Amino acid sequence: MKVTRRDVLKTAAAASAMAAIGTPLTQVAQAASNEPEEWVKSVCRFCGTGCGVMVGVKGGKVVTVKGDPNNHNAGFLCLKGALMPPIVYSKERVTKPYIRKNGKLEPASWDEAMSLVTDKFKAAIKDHGPTSVAYYGSGQALTEESYLASKIWKAGLGSNNVEGNPRLCMASAVGGYVTTFGKDEPCGSYTDIDNATCFFIIGSNMSECHPILFKRVAKRKQNSPNVKVIVVDPRKTNTARIADEHVSFKPGTDLAILNAMAHVIINEELDNPRFHGKYCNFIVDWKTKKKGSFDDYIKFLEDYTPEKVEKLSGVPADQIVRIAKMFAESSGTMSFWCMGLNQRIRGVWANNLVSNLHLLTGQIGKPGATPFSLTGQPNACGGVRDTGSLCHLLPAGRLIKKPEHRAALEKQWGIPAGTIAPKPGLHTIALWNAFSEGKVKAMFVICTNPAHSLPNVNIYTEGMKRKDNFMVLSEPFMDAETVKYCDVLLPPAFWCEKRGTYGCSERRYSLLKKSVEPMGECRSDFEILMDFAKRMDVDPKVIPFKEIDDVWNEWRMVSAATPYNFSGMTRERMEKESGILWPCPTEDHPGTKIRYVRGEDPNIPKDYKNKYKFYGKKDNRAWIILRPYKGAAEEPDADYPMVLTTGRVIDHWHTGTMTMKVPELRRSFPKAYVEVNVEDAKKAGIKNGDDVVLETRRDTMTFQAKVSDVCRPGLVFVPWYDSKLMINKLTLNAFDAGSKQPEYKICAVRIKKA
Amino acid sequence: MKTKILMAGVAATTLLFSFIAIEASAQSIKHLKAPDDNADCYTCHQKVTPRIAQNWYESKHGVGLMKCFVCHGQPDGKGSVPFAVVPDAATVCRKCHEPAMKRMVKKFGIEPDCYTCHPFHQNSLHHDAYGKSESKN
Repeated sequence: MKVTRRDVLKTAAAASAMAAIGTPLTQVAQAASNEPEEWVKSVCRFCGTGCGVMVGVKGGKVVTVKGDPNNHNAGFLCLKGALMPPIVYSKERVTKPYIRKNGKLEPASWDEAMSLVTDKFKAAIKDHGPTSVAYYGSGQALTEESYLASKIWKAGLGSNNVEGNPRLCMASAVGGYVTTFGKDEPCGSYTDIDNATCFFIIGSNMSECHPILFKRVAKRKQNSPNVKVIVVDPRKTNTARIADEHVSFKPGTDLAILNAMAHVIINEELDNPRFHGKYCNFIVDWKTKKKGSFDDYIKFLEDYTPEKVEKLSGVPADQIVRIAKMFAESSGTMSFWCMGLNQRIRGVWANNLVSNLHLLTGQIGKPGATPFSLTGQPNACGGVRDTGSLCHLLPAGRLIKKPEHRAALEKQWGIPAGTIAPKPGLHTIALWNAFSEGKVKAMFVICTNPAHSLPNVNIYTEGMKRKDNFMVLSEPFMDAETVKYCDVLLPPAFWCEKRGTYGCSERRYSLLKKSVEPMGECRSDFEILMDFAKRMDVDPKVIPFKEIDDVWNEWRMVSAATPYNFSGMTRERMEKESGILWPCPTEDHPGTKIRYVRGEDPNIPKDYKNKYKFYGKKDNRAWIILRPYKGAAEEPDADYPMVLTTGRVIDHWHTGTMTMKVPELRRSFPKAYVEVNVEDAKKAGIKNGDDVVLETRRDTMTFQAKVSDVCRPGLVFVPWYDSKLMINKLTLNAFDAGSKQPEYKICAVRIKKA
Repeated sequence: MKTKILMAGVAATTLLFSFIAIEASAQSIKHLKAPDDNADCYTCHQKVTPRIAQNWYESKHGVGLMKCFVCHGQPDGKGSVPFAVVPDAATVCRKCHEPAMKRMVKKFGIEPDCYTCHPFHQNSLHHDAYGKSESKN
């Protein structure tokens, strides 16, 4: 070996540098030992931002992750994404099937477990008809899994009882987009963040719930100090740190604020008559779909002067004027919203009202100007909504209630006409009500934790205890709450142990390659569903799939005749690229960042006469719907004088079954707490760290207090991740009449020091 | 040959002393034993190392809530990230900043330790917005 003088000096310098920075030897050794042999492309397992990750594999094990520089996140990850590997090897992983015997889950073989499952489902169908069986899926399942399950139930078993947790999360956004534009899903993309000059963030704590998107917004503001950020939230969250205007309001009055903004915009003549006159209809009566005029809209808004709305909402009139002007006067306004608007009994209306502002001002369809709904789960926006894996939907925006849509699917699927039942199935709350009442007899639950996540959850966990219904659960973690109630527990392959696609908030689909082999006897949900369908004697034409890529190819074919159009997103292309945005009609199409605009959206002919075409509507005009203010289902009163709201902390995700497996995240927020405003705490004699009793009409629980000025007076907040302190025992299961999404965000509560 | 042996000796001696220094440095890291369910570093460090805590709070990492433990691990070693006062750039920073690290190598031939040029607790995000923060009023 030739050792040069230069080598010696370099070695010595390196050693000195290590000493200087104090890097412990053990760490250096560990870093070296964990150096991956291979990096495998994937997507983060958490929120709907859909960040690309590279999974570092060594010796067949996941050892680390890093951000995918070629995906939209440009290599960045949030703290949850950066700490994923320990979840895979949690000691709580379910690695073999179990059957409940005498109240206890006992290990079983796959054959025993699946035989019992199919016996129960067959018996239910035989005795009570196909509507007695149901599928309850997840915005965390792969696109192919959701599509397959929906097809098995709707085309194979004759049951439209296909639901999932996206109903709890995104249904109002779907309702909002479909009623306003005629088609679901956002018209813009994350790229708009880099061009927007005003961000209108309402009902979203995006700094904790979508940290990488928040980072991009913050970066945009840093690079262009004139960029304005408006945060409308009754809590002064971390998101408000970058706000030019933080609008705190009485919970539930945001619908009035949005109408007041429209009033100001028109009054100040900041609307865009050229746009709304040419491309919009004003719908004065939603039930009859009666069209009206701009003057009708002006008259409707007379009830929403800033002064009147100040009395209702507590927001100063001059602040409403300021934010309305900011919204309308910017060269590009991008709105973000999430559960604060969606989880409401008027969630669809709230969604419509945000879109109204964009249509009124023409802040749409140009770079940086778009109404953008954020999604909570990694594949709710994509894999469940797009593939029609809900009780009223068929793939690619088709509806079960429309005969022509059923016929089109039956033809594409090669199954006899009339196979798909014409009546939509039960939506999530109705489905779990029916299960709790013993009307739905057999339920297949995949990749979700309803015994923790359903609102007013006590009534549903009581229902799960019944002896005359049957629940099979595919769940990776033994400590998930729903495991306590299932009759059969199946061990699924988790995240990087399987292959498939996730579709995130911006219509971007990315491939998750299989990084490592599944643990123990775990199988992918694709394999589980295929095994189930075969044992249920489902027509082989319904399930002509040998591997998961076959499902994707069928989905591409099914979407092709619709504005969704995934034709160009071949598996080969997805292997190479880090996500593609639909519509993508051909293999050389780059994907679509802006919909409804000529030259951007491939669904619009290049020689179309107008710049915009809202092709979801018959006359190609989007709808500005006149939605009045209406309060919450359970407003505070003399008995329950405060408002309870729920949400996330950045460290935990959903029911904590994953984040609680990461020591750093678990120890950062080991248990749920109640956030109380300083004034309310003073009145009730509550100090920081005191135990506080929260009581709603559903249940009573005790939490440790965090006294601060984050919540406005009259509001308390509890995060919902903690399985030992499940706030959903207290929340309300009232739901939006249109979207059927429950109102998690507002219920009446009283508090006292324990 | 003699030169080679001499040079190898110099390198070995330097390494040996370096390792002793590192061990001493590692041993000198003292941390109060935190309860098992407490990884809220910021709350305590506001009091014990207020300047560092405030620098983090006002940094990009602070605004984005990239918390202490993501890079530093847990002081009792019970975390999934190895505990280090100065995190290892090659494993920790790389998770998010690999594209920038590669650019540094490509453009300047610098094998990055990151910290020399980027004092990571002092990288403020919004110069104006954070000009308004408490510590700067």
